Formats: sequence, C-alpha cells, structure tokens
Amino acid sequence: MAKRSRLNGATAVIEMKGFDNQAFLAAIVESSDDAIYGKTLEGNILSWNHGAERMYGYSAAEILGRPVSFLVPPTKPDEVPQILERLKRGERVEHFETARVRKDGEVIDVSLNVSPIRDASGKIIGASTTARDITEQKKMREALTQRAKEILDVSTPVLQVWEGVVVAPFIGTLDTQRAQQFMERLLDKIVETNSSVALLDVTGVPTVDTRTAQHLIETITSVRLMGAQAVLTGVRPAIAQTLAHLGINLADVVTRSSLAAGLRVALDVLHLKISSQDGEA
Amino acid sequence: MTNQNISVVKVRDTLMVTMPADPDDMTVTTFQEEVLRAMEKYRPKGLVLDISVVETLDSFFARTITETSRMVALMGGQTVIAGMRPSVAITATQLGLTLGGTLTALTVDRALDLLTHPHPRRQRR
Repeated sequence: MAKRSRLNGATAVIEMKGFDNQAFLAAIVESSDDAIYGKTLEGNILSWNHGAERMYGYSAAEILGRPVSFLVPPTKPDEVPQILERLKRGERVEHFETARVRKDGEVIDVSLNVSPIRDASGKIIGASTTARDITEQKKMREALTQRAKEILDVSTPVLQVWEGVVVAPFIGTLDTQRAQQFMERLLDKIVETNSSVALLDVTGVPTVDTRTAQHLIETITSVRLMGAQAVLTGVRPAIAQTLAHLGINLADVVTRSSLAAGLRVALDVLHLKISSQDGEA
Repeated sequence: MTNQNISVVKVRDTLMVTMPADPDDMTVTTFQEEVLRAMEKYRPKGLVLDISVVETLDSFFARTITETSRMVALMGGQTVIAGMRPSVAITATQLGLTLGGTLTALTVDRALDLLTHPHPRRQRR
C-alpha cells in the first residue's frame, strides 16, 4: 500500500504504512555531505546538520540560535542582510560563491544555495541554506588560470637578432587571444628597436588552420602598415601543403623555408652582407 | 568646433604633412586639398605623411589617404605614410583598412630615405 503525497508542497515522497516520512527526510538531510541549515528571516540558525558540523567545525549545540553572520568573515558585513532581503522578496540565491569562517578561524570558499521556506499559507517564514566547500575547486581553477597565463607569457617572445631585425618564433597553435597578444608584442618591439624587418618563424607550429593563417596575415599586414617588412620563415613542407590546400593567398608575403634563409632576406633589405674574414663572401 | 589646421611644408623636393591626433572629417578633407594645391605649386617628387601622433584611423581617413596617394601619383609624386602606431595598425588591419598598398615607413627619417633612394642597393655601389 503506497500512496503519493506532498510534503511542504514540493518534495514528493511515497507514503507507506508504518513509515515516518518526516523522519526519513530528516535522515536524508542529516546524512548529506553538504552543509544544510535552516534560519529565520532575521538570520538566526534553526537547524544544523552533520555536514554543517564537519564543514564549519561547530556542533549543533554551539550554533543553534546564533545569527548566521557569525560565520561570515568581517570583510563582508553587507552580505547576510542582502541575502535576507532577497529571501523576503521570495527570491532564491543560487550558486553564490563567497567565503565563510570555520570555528578554528580558517577561511573557506563556499558555494551557497539559499531558498525561502513557506508555511502552509504560503507566507515566507525562514530559509534553508545548502553550502558546499569549494576551497579546493577554487584553488584548482586559479592554478589553471595562472598556468594558462604563464604559457601565454613564455610562448610569445620577440627577439632582436640584428640591428633592424626582430624574430618572433611562433610556438604551438594560435588562438585569437594568443594571436592578439603576439601581434601587440611584435609591433611594440618593432617600434622599440626601430626595426625594418620582422621575421615570423613558424617552425614550432605543428599545423596551420584557416584561422591561424588569418592571424598570420593580419600580423603581416599590420607590420607593413607600420612601415616594416614581415618575412614568414620556417615554412615546412606540411605547412606549405596545408596553406596551398586551404587556398590561402600569401602571394604578397615573402616566405622562406628556414629562419636562416629569412635572415638572409632581412640582411638583403638592410643592404648588409656577411663576408668571411679572408674576404670571400 | 575648431578646425584643425593642416600645414603642408615643402622641404627640398618633398612635401611634409603631420596629421593631428584625432583628425575629424573636415581636417581630412582639408588635408587632401592642401596637399594637391602644394603638389601643383611646387611639383615635388614625394609626399611624407606623418601619422605618428594619430590615435584613430577611421574608414574615411583611410580612404582619403589611399585616394590622395593615387592623386599624388597622377601628379608625379610618391607618397610614404610614416610612423603608424602599433595600436592603430592592429585596428586598421582588423577593419580591413590596408591603405591600398601605399608605401609605409617606420619614421619620417626612413620615409625620406625611401624617397631619396628608391633603389639604394644599386645606388650604394
């Protein structure tokens, strides 16, 4: 004999003979790994599960009846009043990322879900909060962003190899963000060193797609607009094949298969000549 | 609105024009007229357009530069654009304003080199 019923309007459970639904729901809350607690509209804590004990370090006996602002770091005094204000209007607060203080004083990063609790007549009488410790997650995310930034920094150097000649070795694939940064660095370096020739070396580029080629062409055009000449070097057979197959027109661009050959072009543009010491070219 | 004055200076065989930081359409039009008037008057070999202080290059300005360099060529002169800033070059490229193959130079100095020694390799020896 099972019968469907609704508790507090939302959670559907199956009603069975001799089965205490309220106790069952309470057990679910109690055993949750997330911190789950209830509070009044004034912000006083009414209930406190095991997850909350583990996360914040306070036992239920220590915390019940205290205001939630007790858990908030002193740097965020406006946060709780703002959340309570939204709850009173019947709004939910979802995936709100903030910081909380544990009993031992450690500050942890948490993601909060706060929703209003209504009585039978629909009046908002309090709120329930689910909090998840995202300290590790956040650290990982920050580490990833940091790593991405480092890669961005190390992979786009622009070097002056001769008076009036700069070399920009491309490494890896070029997304829009990297291409933009690369172009800015190259152009700034051209101005800084007053260089008439820029060698764009693509030896370290595994494959070229239409977008990468587009970025290359844009860079070459910008270099020309500034009054310098760009030479595309390190065009390996595979790259040459791809560029030809993609139908990318590099007719106006001086290209060479190696950086050394490119440097020769650069010296030519500058009317320089390298000769050996016994006077032969 | 003050009309930014454009002065076209003749130095030896060359006309020199410096564009203001943020030229409006009126200034750009004046630039073309003044340059052509000076071309007629002095019959110079070249025109150096210094845009090293220009911060924005809009499509009208870019088109006028291309047009003017063609007109100057028809009157027997060679135009060199000098000193475009990196940020301006990037924006211009992204907007597709490539100045139709007009000669460019990093600085006014280099522009003058280009005009006086169009084939320096041969001149050197």
